[in-house]
Amino acid sequence: MAAMSLLLRAAAAWGARRAAGGSRPPWLAGAARLPGTVGRASGAGVRGRAKKRNTLVQFSAPVRHSSSHGKKMFIIKATSFYDTRFLNLLRFYVFLTGIPVALFITYVNIFIGEAELAEIPEGYIPEYWEYYKHPISRWIARYLLDSPEKTYEKEMALIDVEAKKTELRLMELEARRLMRHRGDGPWYHYETPDKNLVDNSMKSTPDN
Amino acid sequence: MPEDRDWEAYKVPPTRTPVSETTSSVPNPVVFFQTVFNYVVDAPVTFVREWIERQQAKNKFYYYHQKFRRVPDLSECLEGDYLCFFEAEAQWRRDRMVDQEIVEIIRERLGACKQREGPNQFQNCAKEMEQLAQVTKAYQDRYGDLGVHGNARTCLMKQKHRMMEERKAQANASQ
Repeated sequence: MAAMSLLLRAAAAWGARRAAGGSRPPWLAGAARLPGTVGRASGAGVRGRAKKRNTLVQFSAPVRHSSSHGKKMFIIKATSFYDTRFLNLLRFYVFLTGIPVALFITYVNIFIGEAELAEIPEGYIPEYWEYYKHPISRWIARYLLDSPEKTYEKEMALIDVEAKKTELRLMELEARRLMRHRGDGPWYHYETPDKNLVDNSMKSTPDN
Repeated sequence: MPEDRDWEAYKVPPTRTPVSETTSSVPNPVVFFQTVFNYVVDAPVTFVREWIERQQAKNKFYYYHQKFRRVPDLSECLEGDYLCFFEAEAQWRRDRMVDQEIVEIIRERLGACKQREGPNQFQNCAKEMEQLAQVTKAYQDRYGDLGVHGNARTCLMKQKHRMMEERKAQANASQ
């Protein structure tokens, strides 16, 4: 059984080989790959033969020759769908805000321009944002950030509060130590029972 | 626009190449390339730059260098006066930044001198080299090995140790 099917399969393969390549003389076998040489005749002949035997499907459509590109090849390579999709999305989302920001910064640099360095005029105290050169830095310093004098004073206030706290804590520890040691202060008073409640009967006789 | 370097700071003396009078009839190709560069690159760029500067000149504004008041130093602060410590620390950091910029300027001067003199640098730049050596030694003495956590207090301690070493060296020398 298996041998019979093997034989049939071998016969079909031999037949297919004969149908595909038999019509061509062997010295033209290489030329069959070029378009327009031996294609049509072998295609029509093979299709005719395939009708008579139904063992193998022949892919025998005539080769369509486009004018300049040559035979179309189906190149098998790994998919680049995900890569191109990622790069397209990346480009889109980066440029979505990147291009308006770049245009805005170009506009500011060309039409507003950077500040010039000058000596501080007599009797004039510059505002804290006038110490920056670029107009966007000046704008940020003026409208978004606090003045450095304000932050300085805030830090100093914080340090002052913490310094007072440490001072008071140290003083409390010292007071507690002294009151515990000397016993003359309001702290470290412990409730003791009244001396009239003490039962002295056990201590009154020496022979117990 | 980033500002150009100050071309006047490191003034190169004018070149003393003599004007040559050629006797050949073949025109100098350098002149041709100079005119091509002038028309193709220089003129359009200058035109655009001047147009931009005309736009910017319509509303000028200025920036200044901030001047800070001097506050009492760390050595003049009482113990436990944390506010004084804070102000002295801020002032010390500002002074350290100024000193770093000073060293950088002296270094740039030496670099400019070397570039100017070319092969004569070893003879003609001796003054700048000496100045750079002195300034870096001074910087190293004052701010040198304090590390990344160096603050005004560690710097003061370093100064104290330096003075003690000096005193010891003096005492040893006078013996």
